[in-house]
Amino acid sequence: MDIVESKVKDQLDVFALREQFPVLARRVHDEKPLVYFDNAATAQRPLKVIEAMDDFYRRYNANVHRGVHQLSVEASEQFELARDSVRRLLNADSVREVVFTRGTTEAVNLVAQAYLRPRLEEGDEILITHMEHHSNIVPWQMLCEQTGAVLKVAPINRQGELLVEELASMINERTKLIGMVHVSNALGTINPVEEVCRIAKKHDVPVLVDGAQATPHMAVDVQALGCDFYCISAHKMYGPTGIGALWARESILEDMPPWQGGGEMITRVSFEGTTYNDLPHKFEAGTPNISGAIGFGKAVEFLEETGYEGIVWQEERLLEYATERMQAIDGLEIIGTAKHKGPVVSFTLEGAHPNDIGTIVDHYGVAIRTGHHCAMPVMQFFDVPATARVSFAPYNIRNEIDIFLEALGKARDMLA
Amino acid sequence: MALDKLYQQVILDHNRSPRHYGRLEGATHSARGHDALCGDDILVELRVADGKIQEAAFSGEACAITTASASMLMDWLVGRSRSEVALEHAHFAQLLDDPELPDRPELGAINHLRAVSGFPARVRNTLLPWRATLQALERQQ
Ligand SMILES: Cc1ncc(COP(=O)(O)O)c(C=O)c1O
Repeated sequence: MDIVESKVKDQLDVFALREQFPVLARRVHDEKPLVYFDNAATAQRPLKVIEAMDDFYRRYNANVHRGVHQLSVEASEQFELARDSVRRLLNADSVREVVFTRGTTEAVNLVAQAYLRPRLEEGDEILITHMEHHSNIVPWQMLCEQTGAVLKVAPINRQGELLVEELASMINERTKLIGMVHVSNALGTINPVEEVCRIAKKHDVPVLVDGAQATPHMAVDVQALGCDFYCISAHKMYGPTGIGALWARESILEDMPPWQGGGEMITRVSFEGTTYNDLPHKFEAGTPNISGAIGFGKAVEFLEETGYEGIVWQEERLLEYATERMQAIDGLEIIGTAKHKGPVVSFTLEGAHPNDIGTIVDHYGVAIRTGHHCAMPVMQFFDVPATARVSFAPYNIRNEIDIFLEALGKARDMLA
Repeated sequence: MALDKLYQQVILDHNRSPRHYGRLEGATHSARGHDALCGDDILVELRVADGKIQEAAFSGEACAITTASASMLMDWLVGRSRSEVALEHAHFAQLLDDPELPDRPELGAINHLRAVSGFPARVRNTLLPWRATLQALERQQ
C-alpha cells in the first residue's frame, strides 16, 4: 500500500462524525458555536448511545436477571450484551472477567478493598506513580490507614514522563501492588504499561492500570499489556456517566471475597449462611445501572465503527497543531511534554490565572478545564497552583483550535 | 457585554496593583484562604485593637477576581469591627445572588464585584477573601 492510500484509509470523516453528536450543534453565550475542549473531563455522547438508552426506557425498562417476563428477559439480554462489548473492547478472555462498576473510581476501590486488603500486612508497600489521578491515590491511602501499609510513589521527570528504572528499583519483597495510570489526564503522558508489567511480573507483583483516559484514544488489549486489573469509565469514551468496568483475570476474581453484599450477588441466602453468585455477579450487588450499561455497550460499538486508526489520526493532528501554535505564544508554558502523549495540552500563561482564562474563553464559546484536574501531586511537582487544559476528541477540528487561540489572546490582552 | 463588566477597569486595576498586598508585621489575626480546586491560595492578616481592625493585608497567589476582591476588601476593612464584617459579608453574599437588589452604599467600591453574579462559577472566588477574613477574626493569634 502506498503512503497516500494508507493516509486515506486512516483518515476520519470528521464532519460526518460531528453529525453524530447533537450537542456539537449547540450555541452558547449569544449564539457562539460551542467549542468543546473538555473531553478529558467527560466526552460528549453520540446519538447511538443516547438513542439506545432512550429505547431501553421507552420499550423494555425492567430489572435484570430476576423476571420471567419478556421485558426483564430483554433487559437482561441487552445488559449482558453490553458486558460482552466491554470484553471485546479490552480483548478480555471472558465476560466473567468484566465487572460493571460506577466507574474507574469504584473499580480501584473494589480492588483495594476486596483484593488487596485481606492480603496486606503492616509495613507492606503499595507502589504508585507521581502522576496519578486522586482516584488512584486516595483508595490506597485509605487502605494504608486501615492496614498500616505504606504508599510509595515512583518519580516522574520534568516532561511528565514516568521514570521506569526508578520505579523498578523501588519494587521489593514488601511491594504488594503497583497502581499506574495508562494515560495521564493532567499531562497527557502515555505510560509504558507493558514494560512496567514485565518488570512487575519478575517480582510477582500485580499491576492495576487506571485506563480511564486510554480507552477513548487507543486500542487496549489487557492480555498484551500483561496487567492484572484494568479500570475504565464509560463517560470518558462517549458513554454515559455512572458506569464503568473493572477487568481482572478470572483466577484473581475467583479468589477474591465479594465486596458489597445484597441482591444480585448471591445464589442462595438463609440465616445460616449465604452462597455467593458466580462471576462477575459476585461483585455486582444490588440493581445495577442498566441503562448505563446499555449505553456503555453502544459506546464501545461507536468506537469500533469509528475505528481507532481514524481517531488517532485526527487526534494526533489536533495535538500537533495545538502544541505548535501554543508553543509560539510568549509566556505560555505547556505542562506535560512527554514524547508519547494523548490529545491533552495543560498549560499556564504568564500574567493570567487559569481561572480567568477559563471564564474568558468560555465567553467565546470555548469550554476548557481549569484547576488541579484531580491530580494535585502533579501540580505540586510542577510547582503551579493550577493549570488550564484543553483536551481533544476526534470530533474536534483545527478551526476550533483557532477559535480557542483567538479567545486566549483576548484573555491575555484583557488581563495584561 | 457581561465579560467586560466582570473584567472592568476597576477590577483589573485592583488585580494589577493590589492594595494592602504583602505580609503584615504585628498582625494579631490571620487565616489562609485556600481553594484547591481553583488554585487560589491567599493569607489574610489583620491587626486588631480596641475591637476594630487597624490594619489589613493579604498575600499569596490567586486569580484576578479573588485578587481584586481581596484588594478591595482589605481597603474596606480598616476601621471595621468583627460584627460589621459579618453583617456586610451576609449582605454582599445576597447581592451576588440577586442582581435586582440595589447597590449597598456601605460596601463602597466592592459593589463593582457584583458583576460576578453573571458568572456563578466565580462567586466562590469573590467570597474567598471574606471567608478568610471572618475566619481570621474568629481566632486569636
Ligand atoms: C486518569 C483518570 N483516572 C480516573 C478518573 C476517575 O474516573 P471516574 O470519575 O469516572 O471514576 C479520571 C476522571 O476523572 C481520570 O481522568
